[in-house]
Amino acid sequence: MTNLLHRLAPLAFTLARMLAQAAGIVVIVFLLARLIPGDAVDVKGLEGDLTAAQQVELRHQLGLDRPVVEQLAGWSWRLLNGDFGASIRFGRPVSAMLATALPTTLLFTALSFSFALLLALGVAVSAVTTGHRGLRGLVDVLNVWSIALPTFCVGVVGILVFSIWLGWLPVLGSMVLPVIIIGIDSAGLIVKPLHEELREAATSAHVRTARAKGLAPSRIALRHLLPTAVPVMLALSGLVLTSLVAGTLTMEVLFGLPGVGSLLLNAIHGRDYPVIQAAILVIAIALVIINAATDLLHRLIDPRMTS
Amino acid sequence: MTAPLLSLRNLIISAGGRRLVDGVSLDLEAGRTLAVIGESGSGKSLTGLSLLGLLPDGLEVDPATRIAVDGRVLAPRDERGWRALRGRRIAMVFQDPMACLNPFMRVGEQIEETLRRAGIAAPAERRQRIVSGLAEVELPDPAALATRYPHQLSGGQQQRVMIAMALAGEPDLLVADEPTSALDASVQADIVALLARLQANRRLALLIITHDLAVAGALGHSIAVMQHGRIVETGPAAEVISRPRDPYTARLVGARRRLADVPAAQTMARPVAVTAEAVCVDYAARRLFGTSFRAVHGASLSLLAGRTVGLLGESGSGKSTLAATLAGLRAPSAGRIRLLGHVIEPGGRPLPGALRRRCQMVFQNPYGALNPRLTIGRALAEPLALAGVPASAQAARIVAGLHEVGLDADHAMRYPHQLSGGQRQRACIARALLCEPEVLICDEVISALDMTVKVQILDLLKRLQAERGFAMLFVGHDIEAVRWISDEVLVMHQGRIVERCRPEQLDLSAVRDPYTRRLLSARLMPEFDGAIVEKTGGEPRLHVATAADCLPAW
Repeated sequence: MTNLLHRLAPLAFTLARMLAQAAGIVVIVFLLARLIPGDAVDVKGLEGDLTAAQQVELRHQLGLDRPVVEQLAGWSWRLLNGDFGASIRFGRPVSAMLATALPTTLLFTALSFSFALLLALGVAVSAVTTGHRGLRGLVDVLNVWSIALPTFCVGVVGILVFSIWLGWLPVLGSMVLPVIIIGIDSAGLIVKPLHEELREAATSAHVRTARAKGLAPSRIALRHLLPTAVPVMLALSGLVLTSLVAGTLTMEVLFGLPGVGSLLLNAIHGRDYPVIQAAILVIAIALVIINAATDLLHRLIDPRMTS
Repeated sequence: MTAPLLSLRNLIISAGGRRLVDGVSLDLEAGRTLAVIGESGSGKSLTGLSLLGLLPDGLEVDPATRIAVDGRVLAPRDERGWRALRGRRIAMVFQDPMACLNPFMRVGEQIEETLRRAGIAAPAERRQRIVSGLAEVELPDPAALATRYPHQLSGGQQQRVMIAMALAGEPDLLVADEPTSALDASVQADIVALLARLQANRRLALLIITHDLAVAGALGHSIAVMQHGRIVETGPAAEVISRPRDPYTARLVGARRRLADVPAAQTMARPVAVTAEAVCVDYAARRLFGTSFRAVHGASLSLLAGRTVGLLGESGSGKSTLAATLAGLRAPSAGRIRLLGHVIEPGGRPLPGALRRRCQMVFQNPYGALNPRLTIGRALAEPLALAGVPASAQAARIVAGLHEVGLDADHAMRYPHQLSGGQRQRACIARALLCEPEVLICDEVISALDMTVKVQILDLLKRLQAERGFAMLFVGHDIEAVRWISDEVLVMHQGRIVERCRPEQLDLSAVRDPYTRRLLSARLMPEFDGAIVEKTGGEPRLHVATAADCLPAW
């Protein structure tokens, strides 16, 4: 029991620290949103010809004329009671808007990440085990691709080629193209360090021992080579996943996917504070969960971490 | 005459035109142990790896090379052919067991892999064989040990697991490459004894690769001495050690022999340079709510000018921590140090710069201690510049300093990687001495060096001390070396000084401390004057390559 406590204590500590970070992000965003010139009422006024008196009245109703700290306190209190508030522009509850946007983003992130991981692992492992020159070249191509080509550029070209010229995919609403584009982009980030790590592991003493035992190359790759690269892979995966949470935004907008990214961008345009705050909160919590999960997985996989 | 188990003829391995192994031939037979002895870079490890077809990529094997197992010739790069033999006919044990075991797999699983590979299909039989295998290498509670991970075992236990794993497939030939070099002295002897027993019980053909004459003498029926990629001398073990014929072997044996004669300790009273009174050193906790670790418990000692105190201990005994604390690099957590008149206390003033120059330290790894981007000359100029020597006078002082440690003026123009290990350590000593130190702290300075070079460095230190009269603390784990150079020997164990005696008293008949006794009884010494009796088993079947060997014999 004390042993278990001993093992979990650092994790709980990490989790607490991350939650504090998430709270920090939310507060900063809350304040930054108030720094952008103009508020939701201004935007509404431009769109709907509200009179000056009506604008003052509306601001008072929404509590936008009160001090920022008071607004933050009120919002936090309602949040702790499970109330995200309602969208200023559309009047719909924010929780309902998130509920429709989240599944799209989650599915999109999961698909792109799985594709990226499979691609990176496949290329890196086969390049190291076979030593094939073409595969080693592919590692570099993927890496340079992700550095040199921004996803939105590739996205535009992709739409042009596959949707307009070839007509294979619809312009809006299809996930195929954005998943591939984001997948390749993320794989390029992972594959190079992973390849280097695996190459180093291939010359390591315990892999030599495995060879001296006469094991088959496939078994050496799976049981002796790959676990060595797990810590690096986990760290990189965490990094890529967190960047995906933010990186899907451009793809969602470009390919017309109704996800959290699109929701957030629209809300920023309309200065729809409750929606901005809720979306950022969701993203911040996702980052915390991803980081805690990679940490936990690392502890589970590497026996040296726990004893 | 039946074919030997493994026959190697005219092994030539080269890298970029340079020959690393140059025509080595040897035969290995069941029930016989061959010890290959040589210094670093002599090609002994490559010879061992070639017997399993495990040569690293990028090395060229000469087509004239013939390796035959049971009379069947195998190409050195025939991966498929070698893989069929590895684990079942030929197995290997390497130097650093911590790095050689897979850290992600339980010990039992790793042995099980070899068993499955050897064709044992029934899981119950594999489990039983894991336990009996671990018991055979004399590990306690084998069933529980099999479920542990490598990092949960001590170095000696790890090496036993490596041996059990190598023997699990019941090979006929075991190649052991420096199996004891990474282990502490007291563990080393146990592993050597274990290997000897296993070899005799299983009638193994054993090839032991080592740099240590004592290990070679204890295990080998015959010894082959390698230098610059060639076998320079072979013969029955006792004969090679007591009557070496080749000049290089004679030097190797002579170096070891010299250390066995302990010079008389100096006892004349001398001024005190450093005293430590009940010094404790703690390492702070790395985590919140963690506990700090006490590396040194109440150590008291004094260094006299012109005298040497030897500090003997195994890895983790706290000897290096104590050395760094005496040099003023770490603050003690309790107790006090009086260094050249300055008092160092917990929380007190740090050592002033001028004093720090008068107390110099030389470290174990001379390559790490020299900046790779500075020539030796520029590295040596740094302490002079600090001492305020004008630039015009520096060059002459550097040359004089290099001469003093047996290097030439043109070594000043070279970079560290262009020097040999011994030359680098000389340069480090020269750098320390340019500060005109009154205290010199040597932390394992000879551990990374070859045997013949070790003796040269020890000689050098002793001569310099006689000329300059500095006080010296010599930290080491090699009993012979520490005893040879010291006027007083301290033995450290688990952070405490457990024994202090004069070097000639460092003997089983004189010391009382149980740990020191264990250390002394575990020591391996070659029997220089032992009667030359052939160990069991006929004539050694080993020979140096001759022109005839280069012809295909099959």
